[in-house]
Amino acid sequence: MGLFSLVTMDHIRNFSIIAHIDHGKSTLADRLIQLCGGLQDREMQDRVLDSMDIERERGITIKAQTATLQYRAKDGKVYELNLIDTPGHVDFSYEVSRSLSACEGALLVVDASQGVEAQTVANCYLAIDLGVEVVPVLNKIDLPQAEPERVKEEIEEVIGIPASDAIAASAKNGIGIEAILEAVVARVPPPRGNPEAPTRALVIDSWFDNYVGVVMLVRVVDGRLARGDTIRLMATGAEHEIDKVGVFTPKGVERESLECGEVGFVIAGIKLLSEAKVGDTVTLAARPAAEPLPGFREIKPQVFAGLYPVESSEYDQLREALEKLKLNDAALQFEPETSQALGFGFRCGFLGLLHMEIVQERLEREFDQDLITTAPSVVYEVVTKKGEVLRVENPAKLPDPGQIEAIREPIIAATIFVPQDYVGPVLTLCNQKRGVQQDMRYHGRQVEVRFDLPLNEVVLDFFDKLKSVSRGYASLDYEFKDYRAADLVKLDILVNGERVDALSVIVHRSSAQQRGRELVVKLRQLIPRQMFDVPIQAAIGSHIIARETIKALRKNVLAKCYGGDITRKKKLLEKQKAGKKRMKQVGSVEIPQEAFLAVLRTDEG
Amino acid sequence: MTKPDAYPVTPPNERESYPAPSKPPPLAVYIHVPWCVRKCPYCDFNSHPQRGALPERAFVAALAEDLAHEAALVSGRTVTSIFFGGGTPSLLSPDAIAAILQHVRATLSVAANAEVTLEANPGATEIAALSAWRDAGVNRVSIGVQSLDPVGLAELGRIHDAPTAERTVAAALEVFPRVNADLIYGWPGQTPQGAEAEVMRLLALGVAHVSAYELTIEPNTPFAAAPPAGLPDETRLGAIEAAVHAVLAGAGFSRYEVSAFAKPDHRARHNLNYWTFGDYLGIGPGAHGKISFPGSGILRTRKRAHPNDYLSAGQHRNRPDRVQGLDTSSVTNPYTAAAHWVQADALPFEFLMNALRLAEGVPRPLFTERTGLPFAAIADTWERLAARGWVVDDAARLACTPLGWRYLNTVLEAFLDPMVC
Repeated sequence: MGLFSLVTMDHIRNFSIIAHIDHGKSTLADRLIQLCGGLQDREMQDRVLDSMDIERERGITIKAQTATLQYRAKDGKVYELNLIDTPGHVDFSYEVSRSLSACEGALLVVDASQGVEAQTVANCYLAIDLGVEVVPVLNKIDLPQAEPERVKEEIEEVIGIPASDAIAASAKNGIGIEAILEAVVARVPPPRGNPEAPTRALVIDSWFDNYVGVVMLVRVVDGRLARGDTIRLMATGAEHEIDKVGVFTPKGVERESLECGEVGFVIAGIKLLSEAKVGDTVTLAARPAAEPLPGFREIKPQVFAGLYPVESSEYDQLREALEKLKLNDAALQFEPETSQALGFGFRCGFLGLLHMEIVQERLEREFDQDLITTAPSVVYEVVTKKGEVLRVENPAKLPDPGQIEAIREPIIAATIFVPQDYVGPVLTLCNQKRGVQQDMRYHGRQVEVRFDLPLNEVVLDFFDKLKSVSRGYASLDYEFKDYRAADLVKLDILVNGERVDALSVIVHRSSAQQRGRELVVKLRQLIPRQMFDVPIQAAIGSHIIARETIKALRKNVLAKCYGGDITRKKKLLEKQKAGKKRMKQVGSVEIPQEAFLAVLRTDEG
Repeated sequence: MTKPDAYPVTPPNERESYPAPSKPPPLAVYIHVPWCVRKCPYCDFNSHPQRGALPERAFVAALAEDLAHEAALVSGRTVTSIFFGGGTPSLLSPDAIAAILQHVRATLSVAANAEVTLEANPGATEIAALSAWRDAGVNRVSIGVQSLDPVGLAELGRIHDAPTAERTVAAALEVFPRVNADLIYGWPGQTPQGAEAEVMRLLALGVAHVSAYELTIEPNTPFAAAPPAGLPDETRLGAIEAAVHAVLAGAGFSRYEVSAFAKPDHRARHNLNYWTFGDYLGIGPGAHGKISFPGSGILRTRKRAHPNDYLSAGQHRNRPDRVQGLDTSSVTNPYTAAAHWVQADALPFEFLMNALRLAEGVPRPLFTERTGLPFAAIADTWERLAARGWVVDDAARLACTPLGWRYLNTVLEAFLDPMVC
């Protein structure tokens, strides 16, 4: 290794971008990379077209917006700027916190016409708490509806940082990009750390690559990491020898070592993602650090749902697909589960609803799985009469009411940002969802509302309702707060006299009657008519609280089938049959897939 | 010239098999006349409004040529029935009908007692033509009465009135020993009492065969685009259907097929041939045919559908556009738009889709006789359906139970895919 690659820490700047979805984070990242010469124009083109596909080079999967940039600043010096990617959604706030704690600075990118959103605020507070220098950037400044002065005020008001010198930019049209890089150099402090101390590197992110195994993105806080070193992951104790270290430009470029303060990748022949957890500390086996870096947390799934193959013969394929997803998604949990209604499937744990949707979509798109998903549930703590505390992830597994002393449910602290005009409906919604108001603050046009809400109300249909009562303007952030006892009951659904375990939900007693009513009405609409009358009942224990009947289909024989042309009638029946493919036979009744999610959408239609 | 509809072409490979019966079944001839004065809003058949005089001469010539090509596929076989369907075959002049029948007899061997049916609309012209049709060789007519209620006729978009319909049926019965009347029930505003009265009036005329169809909104019809208001709900429709069936049963008619009712000896032989999976040549625009070749396979054919395309096909002297399956060198008919050999996995469904429409079903051996497949091909599915009470558990017969007959679509779905439930 040559002398010139030894960069003193004064020349390093580690920073992330905090932005709401659609506010232009990836475009801005691309511009920064382009200006620093990280990618040729042609490569930029490819990147814009398909950011997933250029990521194969030297057999290493590259993360979209993580890059080590060489920038010659106006002071004539060359700086190593490490741009660290952050996930942008509420479900991944822990990952965001790890990314931010690897940085000394963050660009707060706010849409100059839309202003501040809850997610941005939450991440910004996180950054400030971690001592990260926040540099505000007003993006899309060239749009006619841009209101830079109002948005600056909003930033000062809501986030509480000075914004008068916020940088006016347009990532799309390349305005203000150099000013941003200069601000990073001038305002973000260089990393601090002890190059002589035992090595400590923070795992910012880790992912599985088919060619090289687990790739870790790390920030070296103390000491250094070099090829051939034997590392130890302090949370899991796993030890591995480093095959490769390097940086992303964003193309992967191998180096001899990563020095104190730097950000880069480490490949060490690790096969399991669970050995390289985000937030863990990498140290050297030969000279281990005494204490890991602070802040590591085991991530626990908050939301659970049953995933079942439509065709029971595809159970093994579903398991293989989940195993493959798990390779690259340490937060995903699953274990086999059996449902009387749905057969063999898996109880899966997710960080949140978005995470659940992503997993579902990937299973269907990438692995071609036909799935039936049950309504999402949270983890309840059930205190039995014997004094045991059980964790119940599946409503069907709730013990007999006679054995239950108390049920405790997870409560979240929710922060909602909403324009003044929609505050009323948002408060009403939160109250309906058994929320307890904690705080309400006016920041100019925006109102910040804080509520404690039961997570089980949020996982059902809260997001959709919040969006609809605020015409899409409200934004939400939340974090787990605590478990609280509540008067909860299990609501069962009986179809044709048979309890359908996959349709059971746990609800508050006060809303059981109404929910039961809504559910049976919804199911009556969703379950096709059969050859006989089918009663749909909602019950708490043996007590029936609501009932609807699906009237029998009068007949389904074609009136006319003549003239020797059988093709059209055959196609008609084939189409009908294909429609039934996504149905599950429960007893003698065919129940369509949508019915299992009916609890989510009880008041549509 | 319109492009023929695309037909799914699967290249033959060694895994496919094309079963065939060991001896050919009875053979019928269907002749399609594609014109109507006006298209009815519920109709999804291949029919086209008549504009000016019909190109009768060209049509007869084309049918004759089409027929000559088809005859090569059925040499040595005897035709047991002929059916003129449409469209409105009664729009053709009696001379044209005579000429067509002459061509059929000249080209094919027709049984002496063959049933020859012509579909006709009610009308004064038709009444006047009845004896000429008889002289041409027609021995049965099927009259599109549809309703005897002025409201019903208006709702169904028919151009005739009830008295004309009654007069046409009565006149036909004087000329022909066998007459069918078509009825449609379930139109907007119909009541069970009204339906009962209509059927009674119809039967008073003395018909011995009635086809009573429930109004079905078919895709790609004006009714599908703008469904008529006031269609009876399920309860009323059930009551209407019950009333229609009760009057017919009370008058000694047996419901021998889902929508067909007949007194003894009046069953439609031509249609029974479809329902018992017999063969038929399809002559005329858009006509479908089915021809069994012992030892080779079962061929399905479809003719060029648009009248203009059909009429000009002879000039091209070309081969069919699409032929799928085994050796098709024998299919050289330029009037054919598409043909394919029926594969083994499609046969049980195709056979049962027809056979189970019959109240009594068919003798069990007919399955093998007509498809060339052993009963074992469907034995498991049959047993499962029998256990559910949908089909009869009878070693001699293949038939639905009354329950299965009402839900025939559900029964048939079980034969669409061997992997079902």
